[in-house]
Amino acid sequence: MAAAELSIIKPINPTTKFGRPTSKFNTLRPHSPSHFRVFATSQPTTTTTSSSATKPRPKKSVKTAIKETLLTPRFYTTDFDEMERLFNTEINKNLNQSEFEALLNEFKTDYNQTHFVRNPEFKEAADKIEGPLRQIFVEFLERSCTAEFSGFLLYKELGRRLKKTNPVVAEIFSLMSRDEARHAGFLNKGLSDFNLALDLGFLTKARKYTFFKPKFIFYATYLSEKIGYWRYITIYRHLKANPQFQVYPIFKYFENWCQDENRHGDFFSALMKAQPQFLNDWKAKLWARFFCLSVYVTMYLNDCQRTAFYEGIGLSTKEFDMHVIIETNRTTARIFPAVLDVRPEFKRKLDRMVEINRS
Amino acid sequence: MASPATLALGPCAGLAPSQAGRAIFPTRPSHLLPPTSVHLQASSRRPNLHLLRNHLPAVRAVAVDSDQLGSSQPAEQVKPRKYYFVVANAKFMLDEEEHFKELLFEKQRNYEERNKEQDFWLVVEPKFLDKFPNITKRLKRPAVALVSTNGPWITFMKLRLDRVLADNFEADSLKEALAYNPVDLQFEKPEKWAAPYPKYEFGWWEPFLPPGSNKVMA
Repeated sequence: MAAAELSIIKPINPTTKFGRPTSKFNTLRPHSPSHFRVFATSQPTTTTTSSSATKPRPKKSVKTAIKETLLTPRFYTTDFDEMERLFNTEINKNLNQSEFEALLNEFKTDYNQTHFVRNPEFKEAADKIEGPLRQIFVEFLERSCTAEFSGFLLYKELGRRLKKTNPVVAEIFSLMSRDEARHAGFLNKGLSDFNLALDLGFLTKARKYTFFKPKFIFYATYLSEKIGYWRYITIYRHLKANPQFQVYPIFKYFENWCQDENRHGDFFSALMKAQPQFLNDWKAKLWARFFCLSVYVTMYLNDCQRTAFYEGIGLSTKEFDMHVIIETNRTTARIFPAVLDVRPEFKRKLDRMVEINRS
Repeated sequence: MASPATLALGPCAGLAPSQAGRAIFPTRPSHLLPPTSVHLQASSRRPNLHLLRNHLPAVRAVAVDSDQLGSSQPAEQVKPRKYYFVVANAKFMLDEEEHFKELLFEKQRNYEERNKEQDFWLVVEPKFLDKFPNITKRLKRPAVALVSTNGPWITFMKLRLDRVLADNFEADSLKEALAYNPVDLQFEKPEKWAAPYPKYEFGWWEPFLPPGSNKVMA
């Protein structure tokens, strides 16, 4: 999964080893798991001064719980038995295996095998990022890393569980988890430029997992991957045209990187085509629109809480988000039975939510 | 886990196994070279083309010295091979779907890194379309086809591009497979361009045109 995150269920309460003081904790607790409200309570810019984040310290010196809100990236789990049934080639004779085999070829090609190689520019650039932007940069890396790692865990497990019933689909999941692990690792190395690290092993054990039925995994991960592609390619192309905002070299990797996200999305497209019952009735239409709404709103509210990041790399946060939403929606319309009307009225309503979220 | 060979052959069921293997792992040195010196003919029509090509990212099938062409002659007399394609109108393929450009350059980069010979091309107004009335009646013109000897990859591209038509045909030579009717492409500028970056430049597809193609720009 990419930097985009979907989080609509209850907040959870993890701790991570994370060398960053966090002064504000979110205290939002919905009344029940089914009760969700799409808003966030915490502001990303904490009152801590940036100097505390810049000060080099031993990586394991501080174990901090990161704040957790409705809008933070989370980990997912699903009904693996149902997944096995859905992709069992003996039960489901209509699976378009040639499409899956074609996808497997693409994933095996491993276009980015040698792409994620760091250089000394990273550390030098990180040392130059100061003030509030530094804090927000760290948060960007941390959230992106968590989102990628969340994809790794889910895909890895699916790869393991589907091995017997559908080895082709299983291997694709495993290869996608390879991509996600690579992305998460690269982002985590980025954190080390800021003298921080996410303890991913610890995260795996300590964090709670949000349960989604398979069909919801399909809608949510498809959207996550495609919106992730649009976010990364938009940042990449913007910075290519405006190199004066290229403040940290990780963005130079986004062009090749986000092709992985786009391919992952294609795979979920093929999975959904293989399960037409998730695409062809009125319930599917409602769920499709619901997931579009959740994903777009979550991104918009998240990003509007972090305008310093987008402005720091020369983007207008809202213009960036609207571009990403419109393009993701256009892409998604190819496979979902319904998408949202994202004409100007939609943006006005998003902006209203941003205001409500502030107060 | 299935072995790579088995999987690669899947959608190529129509191919003789030996050909399919070659199509997917194109390590043959000279098979796909343009029959006779197509690019030289084109150069004589358009003297600039040769210079232009030299500045474009290397396309293996094009980057051939003329003395090598003679030695590849015997290999051209081969039995028909299968070409797979997806096709749509030119505006969709070259102007609207910008991720398509990214995919082609990614693939080209991959082939360069692994010393693979190019096995995919973009053909503007391909002549082979005449064989597919069921496709042409649904197709806006001018049309652009992505043609490859790699069947599974075309299956993937069909999944990605979605609003394209896919099929395959046999041809005796690459030249025959990639033959085209010359046409000038022009795309109207989008009314409003809301993206925070410029559009990919007109003509980005030139490195992928058949060996020896004219520049499509008017």
